[in-house]
Amino acid sequence: MASTKEYGAEADDQTASTFSLTEEDHTLGNALRYVLNKDPRVSFVGYSIPHPSEERVNLRLQTTGLPARDVLKDGLQDMMALNDHVRVTFEKAVDDYKTLQGMREMSVGASGRSGASAKSGLTHQTLSTDTK
Amino acid sequence: MKDRPSVMDLPDLPKGELPAHLELQRTRVVCAADAPSYTESVQYSGAYMAFGVDNSLRLEDFKKSFKVEVKYINDDDMEFDMIGIDAALANAFRRILLAEVPTMAIEKVFIANNTSVIQDEVLAHRLGMIPIKADPRHFEYKADDENANEKNTIVFKLNVVCTRKGDRVNNASVKSEQLIWLPEGSEMPFDTKTKFTAFGCGQDKLPEFASSPICSQYPDITIAKLRPGQAIELECHAIKGIGKTHAKWSPVATARYRMHPEIVLTEVLEDDLAEELVAKCPAKVFDIEDLGKGRKGVKAARPRDCTLCRECVRGEDWEKRVSLRRLKEHFIFTIESTGSLPPNVLFTEAIKILIDKCQRIIAELS
Amino acid sequence: MDHGGPAPPEPVTYLCGDCGADNTLKPGDVIQCRECGYRILYKKRTRRIVQFEAR
Repeated sequence: MASTKEYGAEADDQTASTFSLTEEDHTLGNALRYVLNKDPRVSFVGYSIPHPSEERVNLRLQTTGLPARDVLKDGLQDMMALNDHVRVTFEKAVDDYKTLQGMREMSVGASGRSGASAKSGLTHQTLSTDTK
Repeated sequence: MKDRPSVMDLPDLPKGELPAHLELQRTRVVCAADAPSYTESVQYSGAYMAFGVDNSLRLEDFKKSFKVEVKYINDDDMEFDMIGIDAALANAFRRILLAEVPTMAIEKVFIANNTSVIQDEVLAHRLGMIPIKADPRHFEYKADDENANEKNTIVFKLNVVCTRKGDRVNNASVKSEQLIWLPEGSEMPFDTKTKFTAFGCGQDKLPEFASSPICSQYPDITIAKLRPGQAIELECHAIKGIGKTHAKWSPVATARYRMHPEIVLTEVLEDDLAEELVAKCPAKVFDIEDLGKGRKGVKAARPRDCTLCRECVRGEDWEKRVSLRRLKEHFIFTIESTGSLPPNVLFTEAIKILIDKCQRIIAELS
Repeated sequence: MDHGGPAPPEPVTYLCGDCGADNTLKPGDVIQCRECGYRILYKKRTRRIVQFEAR
């Protein structure tokens, strides 16, 4: 069963903790380390996989003052926001490409009927929107 | 040492900007003839504090700089450029594509008869590797102790007999198109030990499969070869799974990225040197440029074609003339789908899986 | 109860090694394919269903 445990939170100092994430690997570990390292409230973050045949990531997080748990949650929220932006941008790029491709096919089809001059004009137009 | 200036008299360091050499190290991998350098990315938010440069990541800045440029898409493959993202995230997407986006694949094979020369277990393994044309989003994961039903299992049968008809041999090779989808579930007698399917309704009646019947993605995969008199009779159950468990569930033939190459000529190269550089490059990245008055120059016309073979920086003095680099935040991403989903859908699914991972950890921390 | 000796032997179907035709033989029959005369016949595989993991 997947679980996330925090070690070190029982002590007086809540700014430094080790989080043990099960059923995770470098995919989340390295991405999370990157996002947390880019957070100015983090003084240290690193992760390790103690044994390759155990699905576990240990993430060490030390902050400049806030509780480590809150900063980790913010880091995860940041990563979700980043991913969401990547998804939206990607889907838009794909849609734009497909409409452009549709236009290009239509223009090639139209030129088949109306002659070569129309073809060169239309393809040039679609190409110029492509480079924009 | 009297006229040595005091440190207090030195002009202030320029604030808010990195010196050129640090900016190069931050944004480029420099590929020298012997080895690449500055391969790591500088992640710590306070790394350039001394220069007054903030290295932290702000969502607004990311939104401003991040770009996706699609190069081509077809049913199976796509290539796109992802600009302004770190390798940590690009690699997470790649790893999820390979190992964590689900597909359907044959997992159980019930063999009633197999008199071919291919052994039962090898035949079963071969069947497992066949890409199935079915959208995995319409299915649920099947737990080990769960019975097969129309929401978690696809059943195929394969019934081939090889016969001789005069000079011709029928069914000499068994192809993947001969796998027949059984939308009503298993036709084998119900057996409590092996638990054959108990379908509540026919899968072909479900709206998502009514128009597109489930079959193998490619009709011409050779499953086995037969001689006259040999026969194969079996049933296979395909279930949903991920590439981490077994590569047969991986939705991609491959998903890869490379950093965009950048070639900078640090000296003006003319005539013989220009010709030499054009000839050095096996990927034909450089073009001769006419400088007028019969003089020939050279330019890096197609840096994208560069394979980073480093031939252009090999040999005496060439490292001084050509600087070969890769852009750390510009990824050329290629996805080759095995067919269950189009490549662009696979990528959005991968992003969603990474978001789900974050959500899971947040939920477990609360 | 009924121990009336061994049951009469059932005819068994074999496969011809050359043409693949079915041949039903009783004890004492000549071992030869009725279609092509080939003298190697194979016993059929059991129809008991075996389950395999496709891995």
